[in-house]
Amino acid sequence: MAYVSIADRDNAHALHDPQSFITKYIWSQDHKVIAIQYTITAIAIGLVALTLSILMRLQLGFPHSFSLIAPQNYYQFITLHGMIMVIYLLTALFLGGFGNYLIPLMCGARDMVFPYLNMVSYWVYLLAVLILVAGFFVPGGATGAGWTLYPPQAILSGSPGARWGIVCMLASLATFIVAFTMGGLNYVTTVLQARCRGMTMMRMPLSVWGIFMATVLGLLAFPALFVSAIMMTLDCLAGTSFFMPAVSAMGQPLGYNGGSPLLFQHLFWFFGHPEVYIVALPAFGIVSDLLSTHARRHIFGYRMMVWAILAIGCLSFVVWAHHMYVSGMNPYFGFFFATTTLIIAVPTAIKVYNWVLTLWRGDIHLTVPMLFAIAFIFTFINGGLTGLFLGNVPVDVPLSATYFVVAHFHLVMGVSPILVVFGALYHWYPKMTGKMLNDTMGRIHFWITFIGTYMIYLPMYYLGILGLPRRYYAWDESIQFIPPSVHTMNQWITVSALFVAAVQLVFLFNLVWSLFKGKPAGPNPWRATTLEWQTPDTPPVHGNWREKLPVVYRWAYDYSVPGAKEDFIPQNVPPDKLAPAGHHN
Amino acid sequence: MILAYAVIALVIGTVLFHFLSPWQFTPIASNWTAMDDTVNLTFWVTGVVFVAVNLFMAYCIVRYLHRKGNKAQYEPENKKLEWWLTIVTSVGIAAMLAPGLLVWAKFVTVPTGASEVEVVGQQWNFSYRFPGKDGVFGTTNIRLASPDNPFALDPNDPNGQDDVLVTSAELHLPIGKPVKILLRAKDVLHQFAVPPFRVKMDMVPGMVTYFWLTPTRTGSFDALCEQLCGTAHFTMRGRVIVDTEADFQAWLAKQPTYAQARAVPAGDVAAGQATYAVCSACHGAQGEGNPQLNAPKLAGQAGWYLARQLQNFKLGIRDKEQYAQQMDAFASTLDETAIRNVVAFIGSLPDAQPPATVAGNSEKGRGHYETCAYCHGGAGQGVWSTNAPRLSHMNDWYMKRQLENFKQGLRGSHPQDFSGAQMAAMAKTLMDDKAIDDVLKHIDSL
Amino acid sequence: MAQDASITGQPAAVDGLGGVAADWSGDKQAFPVPWGKAMMWIFLLSDTFIFTCFLTSYMNVRMSTTVKWPDPSKVFALNINGHEIPLLLIAIMTMVLITSSGTMALAVNYGYRRDRAKTTALMLATAAFGVSFVSMQAFEWTKLIVHEGVRPWGNPMGAPQFGSAFFMITGFHGLHVSAGVVYLTVVARRVWTGFYDRKGSYETVEVAGLYWHFVDLVWVFIFAFFYLW
Ligand code: HEA
Ligand code: HEA
Ligand code: CUA
Ligand SMILES: [Cu+2]
Repeated sequence: MAYVSIADRDNAHALHDPQSFITKYIWSQDHKVIAIQYTITAIAIGLVALTLSILMRLQLGFPHSFSLIAPQNYYQFITLHGMIMVIYLLTALFLGGFGNYLIPLMCGARDMVFPYLNMVSYWVYLLAVLILVAGFFVPGGATGAGWTLYPPQAILSGSPGARWGIVCMLASLATFIVAFTMGGLNYVTTVLQARCRGMTMMRMPLSVWGIFMATVLGLLAFPALFVSAIMMTLDCLAGTSFFMPAVSAMGQPLGYNGGSPLLFQHLFWFFGHPEVYIVALPAFGIVSDLLSTHARRHIFGYRMMVWAILAIGCLSFVVWAHHMYVSGMNPYFGFFFATTTLIIAVPTAIKVYNWVLTLWRGDIHLTVPMLFAIAFIFTFINGGLTGLFLGNVPVDVPLSATYFVVAHFHLVMGVSPILVVFGALYHWYPKMTGKMLNDTMGRIHFWITFIGTYMIYLPMYYLGILGLPRRYYAWDESIQFIPPSVHTMNQWITVSALFVAAVQLVFLFNLVWSLFKGKPAGPNPWRATTLEWQTPDTPPVHGNWREKLPVVYRWAYDYSVPGAKEDFIPQNVPPDKLAPAGHHN
Repeated sequence: MILAYAVIALVIGTVLFHFLSPWQFTPIASNWTAMDDTVNLTFWVTGVVFVAVNLFMAYCIVRYLHRKGNKAQYEPENKKLEWWLTIVTSVGIAAMLAPGLLVWAKFVTVPTGASEVEVVGQQWNFSYRFPGKDGVFGTTNIRLASPDNPFALDPNDPNGQDDVLVTSAELHLPIGKPVKILLRAKDVLHQFAVPPFRVKMDMVPGMVTYFWLTPTRTGSFDALCEQLCGTAHFTMRGRVIVDTEADFQAWLAKQPTYAQARAVPAGDVAAGQATYAVCSACHGAQGEGNPQLNAPKLAGQAGWYLARQLQNFKLGIRDKEQYAQQMDAFASTLDETAIRNVVAFIGSLPDAQPPATVAGNSEKGRGHYETCAYCHGGAGQGVWSTNAPRLSHMNDWYMKRQLENFKQGLRGSHPQDFSGAQMAAMAKTLMDDKAIDDVLKHIDSL
Repeated sequence: MAQDASITGQPAAVDGLGGVAADWSGDKQAFPVPWGKAMMWIFLLSDTFIFTCFLTSYMNVRMSTTVKWPDPSKVFALNINGHEIPLLLIAIMTMVLITSSGTMALAVNYGYRRDRAKTTALMLATAAFGVSFVSMQAFEWTKLIVHEGVRPWGNPMGAPQFGSAFFMITGFHGLHVSAGVVYLTVVARRVWTGFYDRKGSYETVEVAGLYWHFVDLVWVFIFAFFYLW
């Protein structure tokens, strides 16, 4: 079959109803406004999770000095902390926030393909957040089953919030999934079907690729969580026994019979592992663009990067049981899942190499976004490599359920993508608001966050190797193998965490302060090539492109093209407009 | 520029930390040295990568930092380089995976002739069962679980009769013999983890999971539950003591079989009454307790709890406590039967609510009590499966003293007092005397 | 209008595998279909995963359960003047749904021909079939609940998971059908009022069709797994 061109659709904006060009801020269908709504909500709830983490740290560092943190509260805190951070903060921020903002702009579209659906998606997300928060106030309080919500304990009286708390959590998750699906369908369809002329898939910026693939993963992985949420709600309220074998709680036999707790774990991780890449892939994509822009050099090995994203996406569906090596599932699965898990390291490694090779022979400007981007590479390598420990089944067995795991996933998920979020906000804030973020505050924020988080998590690896179990409210002296030095280290970790958390306030202040006092950015402060910087107005108006959609003539990374007078050539500059012609992909 | 040096510093710091860190694997006590080897191998491979990649990155930052007039080099792809890197990486991965899979192959194949022991997990304690002479475990049915049949064994199964039951959380294993650890849970997920053994596995209600090992070092090792199983998860402890064969057999012989356990007759109230005469001097004729003599109310307390405490006094487990000595003296005069009888008699005494003596804020107390309720029950009625005694309608002044004992480590610090240790951990969450009074005030109102 | 190489950076025509890639990664659109249709396809893919998870879980609990599984051909038998006829009702329900797929296909077909009357009529017919399916399902549920005492948490015939899984999965599918009925009627109304003539494309009819066929397909699987296994 031969390449057939597709009819031109410059009149795409006919799909907008003209009135909505008057920008509305609340019931807006403008992808940019929705993006900002998503971002603000996600950050707000993220700060709740951050506060929870501080409370947890206070208990771990200085046990029994805060009467408001009783054991059941502690378990409620870690549960909500984990769940909020992973789903309501990172997933929502990367896809709902950056996805919404960047996809149409970077693809040269006027908006998402179905703006109304897009708007509904945000409001349903907000609803999900509210249900989640409501969980704190129902009788029995929020659920304390851990963010993995394993049954039977999740719905038996031994855990906090075993009835209404867990139901709120499950309801909130289901709602979130509905919201995500509405948004996700939009993102995917927009990327596939609504690119501007000349924007071939292989010319898209890697940010779009990352977000696109993450959304696909979401659309295929969330169903598993959705289904298990329904089944657990039934187990809890209707007395069904999907996940519940015959058990006796508090010495009393219960009515359940014949269910399978492992079924839930399989469903959860079939969602859960892709989920971790849902928060990783957008970070991968965005960081690639940050590095390339601020190193004034094309991303190295673009095609390999795209294939790596696809490979990681596909592989992430066949590794889930690496979270279940010690779950009691048939141990023979270990062979398969250890192999697939370690194979994932290869495409990921390629990405890491290409990031570094992008810096190599570059013309590096250490702007604040660049600082965060490079810090990401460092922390991600560290966290990723320890993933290889856990992926290799006999190595995982002693380390599983210890602080080694906690350190792994914080460095790789709790820190790396968060660093990218920050970098991205410093990078695109000028386009969103027309103002630059304050540089000094930015650097303070960077250094304390980068060094501070490493101080938090590096020691945790070694506490884990010693055998310190995770999800412990306190480790009393009666455990022989835990020396006092561990408690000292825990205090140190807590103090570092306090610093890092405090400096986030500087960042928040910066966000607000720069909105008024920040110096004007101009359309393209970073002298970047991608389309969002070429919009006729900054911040872009509804419809993004005035009358004429842009036309793309080159890939997204024409930096420092030999012979070109500028060290960057925007994607929409036609070849004849520059002599001699730049690179064609 | 500083960033480059920061990265270099962090790399060096990380490596130093790795070698200087005082927190390393606990000295291994099982045959799974191969696991430690794979861990170390992985450390070396990944360590090299970590250092190499980061130092190269730092170099790039220093070397290619923006200077007036220099321009990035334009080379979108370099197939050769990319393929080389891919191959090297794959080799590195394979170098870690292959040995790993070999070790795992050992893990999944339990050596023939390995002896078997079952670990039973429940909120929030461990107990153990040996198959006995016939080497076959009796079938169980969770619905049969009760204070008299904590293992929920099927009484009609002949295989079960000679099963050896260990109700204490302390397990003994013979050194040098491969043992297959079967895992069973009664209520929720738990885990049986002994760090020096390296291997561990979740316990899943409704199924039997397992792992195997060969203890290689005598000694006493903590067993922890490492699967979140509810509010008291962090207090769920056991202990494995690796003995020489002889010591092990001696210990095993002392443990009752299921048949023996069932054979013990119910306590004889009349005989108990005679024995109780001595007790009544302090605890009162009706077992109502006597503050002046520091003797707590006994009537209405759960029989299994009284019996266990009498045992504890006998074994001197509660020696450190202020008024325990007298009790030790009496308890030591009682044998198994006497204990059963006297407990039976106390069970027959009328249960009246004692006067409240503490002054506290019942409202605040309710808040604190939420934690206690997880084990002692919402109404303070006591729960046998969590080893938690009844609190409601008991002497608050006595509980006050016990809470202080627990906090000061006078009670619950003896290695054999597992449930006491749990209470000690929980008592710490009551910050001050104020909190103690408040919670007791609430308990009085139950 | 043709795509000039200077824009796409791709030669006008590539053959073989390269061509597939070129087509797919070509500019503007990966698939030569309207947005709504593309979106529906993706949604259905996601929905497929939902039903797959439901059915795998059902198989899993059916294996994990300790009690024997009720014999479907008995449970679902229909008593017509004295004789137990196994699976009769289900057979009818399945027929109804399959037929509705037929009418839907026709509706789409007439949609292409811009035949408002026929399209509307056929879509309403499809919706009607859907309604009858749901009502038969309601009948079956009442039969199970009232006469055979099947409950989500247990039933006299055996494993409690039988009832739980049955109500959950058929219920979820029933919701899909009901939603589809509403969807179809709305679209049918728009067809009738000539909304799509003005818009210039009957694409939505086809999109609705996609959804409807999918719901039928899912039923076939549920049928196979629940009633025949
Ligand atoms: C963004 C999130 C994220 C990411 C990207 C990863 C990445 C990886 N994770 Fe992680 N993981 C989590 C989030 C994440 N993880 C979370 C949240 C948990 C805990 C859940 C819970 O229990 O609460 C977890 C837990 C977890 C476990 C379960 C541990 C346990 O509970 O016992 C395992 C086991 O296999 C694992 C493995 C891996 C692997 C192999 C990778 C790989 O993708 C890493 C690949 C990257 C690299 C390898 C580094 C770059 C490579 C190079 C620089 C070259 C390397 C070259 C050679 C080695 C030669 N992770
Ligand atoms: C993205 C995920 C994420 C993030 C960012 C964090 C951030 C932090 N986490 Fe957490 N954590 C989890 C995911 C995350 N965590 C998960 C999944 C678990 C498992 C829960 C379970 O076991 O069930 C867990 C568990 C967990 C534990 C283990 C509890 C236990 O096992 O007993 C601890 C203990 O120290 C901890 C601490 C912290 C600290 C101190 C921070 C931070 O404070 C680190 C320093 C701060 C930052 C890196 C900045 C973070 C920025 C924001 C939060 C967004 C605010 C946004 C703006 C201002 C724009 N977390
Ligand atoms: Cu039992 Cu944790
Ligand atoms: Cu994973």
